[in-house]
Amino acid sequence: SSWLPQAVPSRGSHWQSSVLALRASVPMRAQPKKKKKVDVKREQAQKERMKKKIKKLEKATPELIPIEDFITPVKYSDSNRVRSLPDLSPEETERRVLLLKKWCLFKQKQDNAEKKAIQSMVEAQQEALKELRLESEELYQAAVRRDERLFPFERDGPSYTPPLPGYDPPEGKCVDITKVYTQ
Amino acid sequence: TAAAPRSWRLFGAMCLLRLPRVTQPLQKEEEEMMALMGQIELEKSHYSDHEIRKLEEEELLRKRKESGYDDEVSGKTVIMARDLEDKWEQKFLRFKAAPRMTDADESNNRTSLYRKLDRNLMLLVKQKIGNQELWLVPQVEWQPGETLRSTAERAMATFLGDHIEAKVLGNAPYGIYKYKFPRAIRTEDNVGAKVFFFKAFLQSSDLSQAEKKDNHVWVTKDELGDYLKPEYLKKVNRFLLD
Repeated sequence: SSWLPQAVPSRGSHWQSSVLALRASVPMRAQPKKKKKVDVKREQAQKERMKKKIKKLEKATPELIPIEDFITPVKYSDSNRVRSLPDLSPEETERRVLLLKKWCLFKQKQDNAEKKAIQSMVEAQQEALKELRLESEELYQAAVRRDERLFPFERDGPSYTPPLPGYDPPEGKCVDITKVYTQ
Repeated sequence: TAAAPRSWRLFGAMCLLRLPRVTQPLQKEEEEMMALMGQIELEKSHYSDHEIRKLEEEELLRKRKESGYDDEVSGKTVIMARDLEDKWEQKFLRFKAAPRMTDADESNNRTSLYRKLDRNLMLLVKQKIGNQELWLVPQVEWQPGETLRSTAERAMATFLGDHIEAKVLGNAPYGIYKYKFPRAIRTEDNVGAKVFFFKAFLQSSDLSQAEKKDNHVWVTKDELGDYLKPEYLKKVNRFLLD
């Protein structure tokens, strides 16, 4: 029978019963051949096992990323870390309670003043828009239209001291060591 | 409606605000509360690494004094936590921050932008209305074809130059001041004027193209009363936050 290339598994003649028989009939060493077959099978079996494991892992719920702020490191729960301060006298606790009450009242007044200011602003604007409408509908529509350029609006807040003109900050490098978790 | 004659003349005015650069001083209750919060935080806290180091070194020093210095007095100098603290304190004292009260504050120079760094400053200009020179929020008459917001922006540019950078807060007016002309000049189709106020935050500090010094001032909300007429002031105060 003619020797056909192995990539094309076909029968050389009707005397051969199977493809494997073809391979056996070709005069080559038997030992390495067997190893290759078994290897191929073994490798395939391994691949399937790996795929099954991967599927199982994927199906499992993803592990939650730990929030480092909520986990106190163990070294901070030592007993020698506990601060030793004198206990609070009853006058001190009394003073604290009264101060908290004063603070509550102060904040309430502040909040009410803010709300009133905002309300007066809104009223003034409504009045202005009403008058504008009486004047001209076209101008009113232009005024009521949304301003796209207003947001995003960024501004640095005030600091304790104003910026020093001509200040040269000291050189330094900032290395970011935050741990990044991936799911 | 555009063809119908208007009985009221329209003006657009821009309230330009310079926002504060510095925090306001704390009030008495706020200071007391801050002290209390600090105290409570101290009580609830544990010792930090630096404090533990300090305590251990104090212990060592005390023991060494009691045992009479016959321990190892090695050549190498050990840096104590106390020395580190001194060093940091010295470094801090050497830094001179800019003062919160500037020279303009002392001299009460109202044309300067560097006065009252913890408050909002608003621009007022002296304008001639009719035959009177009045202190007003910069205003300019509306011309057909532009929106009121552009009128206000034009008013700002007229008094402070084209290169002024300001963030206008929206298309809508914040307030209105309506007044009727005195009977002498009032006519059928010229009853009075409506001044629409717009608000903007100053962003650039380049005011080199501004007009002469005695024409404009930058004032806080409390000082507005020194310049504006009562009725006008009442309307303006409604939409200004302190």
